Amino acid sequence: MSSQRVLPQSKETLLQSYNKRLKDDIRSILDNFTEIIKTAKVEDETQVSRATQAEQEHYEMHVRAANIVRAGESLMKLVSDLKQFLILNDFPSVNEAINHRNQQLHALQEECDKKLTNLRDEIAIDLYELEEEYYSSSTSLWDSSDMPLCEAFQRQDSLVSPEGISGSMGTARVGDSSGVGSQGSTPERLNGHGAGTSEHA
Amino acid sequence: MANDRLRSLEEVEKEIGVVLQCAGNIILELSKEKHNASLLDRQLSQFTGCVSRVESELSGQIRYLTQVATGQPHEGSTYSARKDCQMALNRVEYARLKLGELGQTCERLLDPQT
Repeated sequence: MSSQRVLPQSKETLLQSYNKRLKDDIRSILDNFTEIIKTAKVEDETQVSRATQAEQEHYEMHVRAANIVRAGESLMKLVSDLKQFLILNDFPSVNEAINHRNQQLHALQEECDKKLTNLRDEIAIDLYELEEEYYSSSTSLWDSSDMPLCEAFQRQDSLVSPEGISGSMGTARVGDSSGVGSQGSTPERLNGHGAGTSEHA
Repeated sequence: MANDRLRSLEEVEKEIGVVLQCAGNIILELSKEKHNASLLDRQLSQFTGCVSRVESELSGQIRYLTQVATGQPHEGSTYSARKDCQMALNRVEYARLKLGELGQTCERLLDPQT
């Protein structure tokens, strides 16, 4: 509880110190510049010799010019400190920056996933056609227990439609003796894609 | 919003440089035997304008920070979004790798020389 009281005080104190530094540096620049301009005025009556007076004014101008440069340097340091304080403590802009970055990353992620999904759909279509071609050719070496993707889709479509139930008998593959009769009891292995075991050797 | 404030602070830094430049030019002009009055006027108005702009801008920034700052650390993060995006890019890279292997396999099988 006492630590929570300390933090706002230090923040207040820090911002007050920034204000003070700003006022002091601006005051220093204006005063020293004004004094240099006043010192540049040539006076006829001097208390010491003209050479001494000139030397004194010369030195004074040097010091005041150095003060102006020091105040400028201090202002630059103040601006740097304000930038750092702004980055760390300006919560509205930090929140906005975080939200903006999150939206960018989400958009990129969704675009990647969308393109991968499209790619998957296209490859599935090509795979369907390739399997249909492969399994219908006489030179294929497929196992009778394998169910190709095209066959699985046909079976799925026939199971969905009522008139397709009787039609599925006709579309059963020759040699696929295990498929139709026992399709309710034993799971078919989808040509290497499925994880189910085959009981039809 | 954050970039606007930081950009305005960078402008203030340039203005501080202009302040010192103008002060030096005025004193340099006064050191000559014949002064150019119009140049002196221009430099002086630029000097005073820049000083007042620097002061008002920095005062405004300090006033805004007084209203906004809480003293607590900010605990927001973009880590989860970055991680999700990184995993999506990894998925894309993996898919690209596998398609490349598939393409090489097809080329190897279709190559008439082998």
